[in-house]
Order: sequence, then C-alpha cells, then structure tokens
Amino acid sequence: MVNGMEGYIVSLIIFTAILAVFGLGLNLQWGFTGLINFGHVAFMTLGAYTTALLSSIDIPWLPLPLQILGAVILGATLAAALGLLIGFSTLRLREDYLAIVTIGVSEIVRLIALNEEWLTRGSFGIQRYPLPLGQFSPNLPTRLGMIAILLLVIGIAYCRLWQWMGQQLQPISRSQLVTSLVPIVGYLVSLAVLIVGIGLGARSLKAAANLPSWVLGLGLLSAIVGTSLLYAWLAKRFLLPLAARTTALSLVWVSILSLLGGWLTTIAAIALYHYDRSPTKNGLMWIAVLLVALIYQALQALVRSPWGRILKAIREDEFVARALGKNVFWYKLQAFMLGGFIAGIAGALYAWQLTVVYPDNFQPLLTFNAWTIVVLGGAGNNLGTILGAAIFWAYQSVTRFILSDIIPLDDARLGAFRVMMIGLLLMVLMVWRPQGILGNKEELTLGR
Amino acid sequence: MVDNPSPQPMDHPSTEHPSTDRPAQRSKSDRTFDANLPPLLSAQDLCKSFGGVRAVDHASLEVPQGSIIGLIGPNGAGKTTLFNLLSNFTRPDSGDVMFNGTPIHPLPSHQIAQLGLVRTFQVARVLSRLSVLDNMLLATQNQTGEALLNVWTRSRQIAKEERLQRRHALEILDSVGLSHMAHQYAGSLSGGQRKLLEMARALMVNPKLILLDEPAAGVNPTLINQICTHIQQWNREGMTFLIIEHNMDVIMSLCDRVWVMAEGRNLATGTPTEIQTNPAVLAAYLGQ
Ligand SMILES: Nc1ncnc2c1ncn2[C@@H]1O[C@H](COP(=O)(O)OP(=O)(O)OP(=O)(O)O)[C@@H](O)[C@H]1O
Ligand SMILES: [Mg+2]
Repeated sequence: MVNGMEGYIVSLIIFTAILAVFGLGLNLQWGFTGLINFGHVAFMTLGAYTTALLSSIDIPWLPLPLQILGAVILGATLAAALGLLIGFSTLRLREDYLAIVTIGVSEIVRLIALNEEWLTRGSFGIQRYPLPLGQFSPNLPTRLGMIAILLLVIGIAYCRLWQWMGQQLQPISRSQLVTSLVPIVGYLVSLAVLIVGIGLGARSLKAAANLPSWVLGLGLLSAIVGTSLLYAWLAKRFLLPLAARTTALSLVWVSILSLLGGWLTTIAAIALYHYDRSPTKNGLMWIAVLLVALIYQALQALVRSPWGRILKAIREDEFVARALGKNVFWYKLQAFMLGGFIAGIAGALYAWQLTVVYPDNFQPLLTFNAWTIVVLGGAGNNLGTILGAAIFWAYQSVTRFILSDIIPLDDARLGAFRVMMIGLLLMVLMVWRPQGILGNKEELTLGR
Repeated sequence: MVDNPSPQPMDHPSTEHPSTDRPAQRSKSDRTFDANLPPLLSAQDLCKSFGGVRAVDHASLEVPQGSIIGLIGPNGAGKTTLFNLLSNFTRPDSGDVMFNGTPIHPLPSHQIAQLGLVRTFQVARVLSRLSVLDNMLLATQNQTGEALLNVWTRSRQIAKEERLQRRHALEILDSVGLSHMAHQYAGSLSGGQRKLLEMARALMVNPKLILLDEPAAGVNPTLINQICTHIQQWNREGMTFLIIEHNMDVIMSLCDRVWVMAEGRNLATGTPTEIQTNPAVLAAYLGQ
C-alpha cells in the first residue's frame, strides 16, 4: 500500500513538473510577449521524439549519460528550429496568423509522427530507449545528497511563495483578515466533507438504496451550490471588503498548498531514500524537479532584464517598441524559439515518463492543458504557472477517483467530462479572478 | 477671404492680450543652428495615397541641425501621415528621406530610431502594464541586457547600467513633473500625463531629432508653458525638434521656421511671422 502510494505520488510530481516546464514555455510566449500559440504540443512532440530516437542509437565511444544529455539538447534545439520556421513565416503578419499557423503545424507534426514509420515507427511507438539515471544505483551519501538538493530547491520555492503572500497581506488589516478567514475555512471544510463524504459513501449508498448514480451526482452538485450560496450570503452579511475576502482565500489556498506540498516533499524524499524500489521513476522525479527550478530561475532572470522588458513592451504595444528602436520581429522570434526550446525539454521529460512514445500521446489537448495552466496561474507570472500546473494535476487526480463513482459515464466520456469541467472552472475564474491565481488584478483594469 | 486681416485659427496672441499662460518668447540668441550646414533631415517629394485619398502629395521638408521646426496645417492635411512616412511606420509610395547624410526611407522603423530619429504619436501610446519608469528605461539604446545571452553571463554589468539609466530616467521624469508617478503603472496616467511620458521617453532615447505630434494637445496651459521651456532647453543642449501643433502660441514662441501643409501638399514655409501673414495660409485655414 505504502509502495503504491509512493509510486503514485512520484509520478504525480513528475507529471506536474512536465506540465510546469511545458507551461513555462507558453508563458514566455504568450504571458510575456503576447504571442498566441495554439500548437504548443508540436514543440513537445519534437523534443520527445528526438530524445527517444537519438538516445537509442548505439554510439560506443559516447558515455550514455552524455548521449542522453546531447539528445535532449538536440531535441530542444530542433523544437526551437521549428519555432524559427513558424515564426519567420508568420511573426511579421498580424497576430491571428500565428495562432492559425501553429494549430496547423502541430497537427502536421503529429501526422508526420503517425505516418513516417521509417523514422517514428508510427502507431507502434518508440520503445526501449534509455532513461536518465535508469541504471543508477546511488549509495547512501549520494542519496542523502540528492535529498538535500531537492529539499533546498523546494525550500527556496516556499520562501518565494510566502514572500509573495506576505506582500499580498500587507495592505489588509489583521481583524478583517481573521473575520474573512472564518467563513472561508468553514466553506472549504464543508465542501471537502461533502465531496469526500459523498465520494466515499457513493458506492455503499448506491448499493443500499439502489439509486442510479445520476441522482447522487445531482445531489452532490446541489449540495455544493447550496453551501456556496450560503457562505456567499454569510460573507455579504458580514460586509467584508472584497479585497480582504480574496486575500484571505489566497491565504487559505497557499496554506493548503503548502501543507500538501510539504507532504508530497516528504514522500518524495522517502522515495529517494529508497531509490532502488523504482530507480527510473525516482531518478526522473529528481531530474524533473531540478529542471523546473533551473528553468524557472533562468526565466526569472530573463523577464526581469532589459530583454524581458522589451518582450513586455511588445505585448503591450509593439508600435512603441518599434518607435524606440527595438527590432520587434527579432525579439518575438527569440521569445517564440526559446518557448519552443523549453517545451522541447518538457517533451524529453514526457518521453522518459511514458517510456514508450506514441503519436497519440501528443494530442492537441496538451496545448489546451498548457493554456489552462498559464491562465490559471496568471499570465506573465512564472511562479503562478508552476502553481497552476500543480493545481491542474491535483484536479486531474482527484476527479479521476471521485467522478467515476458519482457520474454515470464510461471512462472515455468521463475524460471528456473532466475537460468540460475545466472549461467551466476557467469561466468561473475569469469572472471572479480574471488575472489568475497569482496575477495582478490592477494590471487587468488598466486601459490602453 | 484672403485679405481678411485676423482669421480665427491663426489667432496668435497679439500684444493686446498679454496672457500669463503664454510660453516665453524664444530669444534669437538661443539659436544653435547654422543655416549653412546641410539639413539634418530632408524629405523630397514624398507621396502616399490611401485608396483614392492622396494623404501626402509630393510633400518636401527640411529640418536644419539644431533647429525647432513647426509643421502646421488644417485637420486632415497629412501631417501625421508625413510623420509616419519619415519614420517609415508607413512606407511611402515614392520620394526619399535623408537623415544625417543617410537615406532612411529604405530602412525599417526601428533602425531609423536607432540612428537618432524618434517620433511620438498623436494619440499617446504608453505601455499600460509597465511602470512609468519601465516605460522610460525601455527607451535606452544599446543596453547590454537587451541580448538574451548577456542576461545570464553579464548580470553585473547589466545591473550597473540599469542603476545609471534609472537615475537618468528619474531626472527626465522630474523635468516633466512625473517623478512622483515613476512606480505607478503607466496605464494609470491621465491623458495629458501620457503625452508627457511619451515626450520624456523619446528624450530617453537620446536622439538627434525628435518628431513631436501635437505635444500640447490636452495639456493644461501652465504645463504647456513648462514643456516649451524644456523643449527650448533641450534644444540649447543640441536636440533638434520637428513639431506638429495646432496651438499657435506654441508654434510662434518655439519655432525657427514653420512648414505649412494643406491637402497633402506643401503650402508655404517661412518664419512664424511670415507664415502668419501669408494669404495662402490664411485661406487654407479658413477653408476658402
Ligand atoms: N491609415 C489610413 N488609411 C486611410 N486613410 C488615412 C490613413 N491615415 C490617414 N489617412 C487619411 O489621410 C489624410 C491625412 O491624415 P493625417 O492623419 O495625416 O492628418 P493630420 O494632418 O495629422 O490631421 P490632424 O491635424 O487632424 O491630426 C486624412 O484624410 C485621413 O483620412
Ligand atoms: Mg495628425
């Protein structure tokens, strides 16, 4: 049981990291530069296939880890080259052209992967390519070192998150905060009790009362809506200012996430300690987390630099950038290519997580997921993107277990239903907090 | 019509109405330009049609080094379009533009700005979701941190440059009365403040020539005064200006020479006083 749980958490972390890297690439393109890329998955496909293919070639004189590293870099570079190709042809035109061309290119890339069997083995998929740290069997000090590095990275992330939270809290008075916290915590607790209670009891209820499952689903839905309305009414009664309520809500969320994150980190550390239980997954998790941290750091340096300022200027008004002597086309191209490069790295991670790559793994839905994550976290906010990826995967895994018990749909339809729910949640988010979780509300209300 | 002695649009403040709001008269000794030097900017026979409309029709223009030149004309005369042609934001149908000895009409607009010809926009364009200070810093030329790889490899140098530029930007902001807004989003500025920011930002480029498109539109009279004083001061420091303006006080007090356009064509050119009494100009303003 513990092992199963551990394995599940490890792959959860890996998936979150992959999506985070993937989303960071899109965030650079769209969040910072304003480039609309509806074919982000194409870069990932290229990264994944190149990594898998190149690392399985037999090169006797090259040590395997170096070969894998080279394959990843080449894969990401190829993805960037695809960005160059797309960007060169469309970035001079109006922005909608880029959007349309990226959709087309991503489908073309997937179809090539499906049909050029001499290269990609088509729908058979590529199998048995080497994984990083796959044959690695670290001794105790090495494992402890790995754990220490992991903890360090996560510790820094925590500091950042709480620094941000501290900034948000400053303008709000303590008493307002406390009075806002009470109903919110109450609300979340009741929601959790409702969902978990009904989720757990669903089977026995169904069996006992011989109820069709849609009755349960409807019951749960109305219960959720009912409590939401009740608490919204309560908050109104107390006449709490909106800012206080929103900040209190963020505080609750950040706290919950921190607790969850702490728990996940503990399990990750334990998994690393028992490295040999599942060497490939544990090693991959370690690499993925470090890569997220590294890419995040590199991107933060970029977006805070004069280079990043030019990207933001282009997002706001490219005429101004031009009038001030900036080569808009060249900077757009750089941002687009770098975003592609990062998505290519995400592709390599994805290939390692899958261990077999099929063209079907690279559905346009992945692009949609990246957009969800960036919008969720707040466009133009790298930390928000990582948070968005975590929330996205939390949603995916929670709903996978609970929904199947209360919604009378088969697995395929359930998957579609979950996507639909995300769309609904995004709409609610757009109404209630259009700037995303970590985004800045003030920025949105500014006119041109 | 032509012999009407005092047409309304040209109603420049005559001695009977001494107004406190009026910009200070420019003393002739301030002039830093020499009419014998080759012009800093010269445009020959520029043409641009939009569909059937001949927005600019064989227009020419010369801006001597170190001068302040005015460009006036009724609404729709093609002044803004001419600015777009000069800065190559719009490609001319024909004609050529020489700037500082180089033909610039074949160059993309960002290269023209890099050569030292910066334009502002009639409807101020600010980068709303960047701070006022960032708007200013963006304008700095040749920053080390503008190259992708330098960001990671030469961060120390970049930080040093940023500190210097920041101080410079704050000085300029101070001179247009925006330093208290430096850390606000530019999107929160008022219309007049945006015009000021645009001008300050153009200055931050440290160009040779600034094209100002109606810098005084929507700015309060006291501030107009202040801006005029600053333009004169920057001009003394060696900056050349080409100014589109409907406010005749500004034109009269600032400009060494005025070019008049009507219906896309050159109508007249001369000193402000000559223009004021030119019958063709008066006729154009009155619309015959
Ligand atoms: N992009 C465009 N497309 C079509 N017509 C245009 C375009 N830009 C300008 N025009 C036309 O060109 C003519 C000159 O316009 P322009 O903006 O240059 O006038 P202006 O002299 O700046 O006037 P104002 O003093 O009102 O600013 C106008 O008739 C206008 O309708
Ligand atoms: Mg105009």
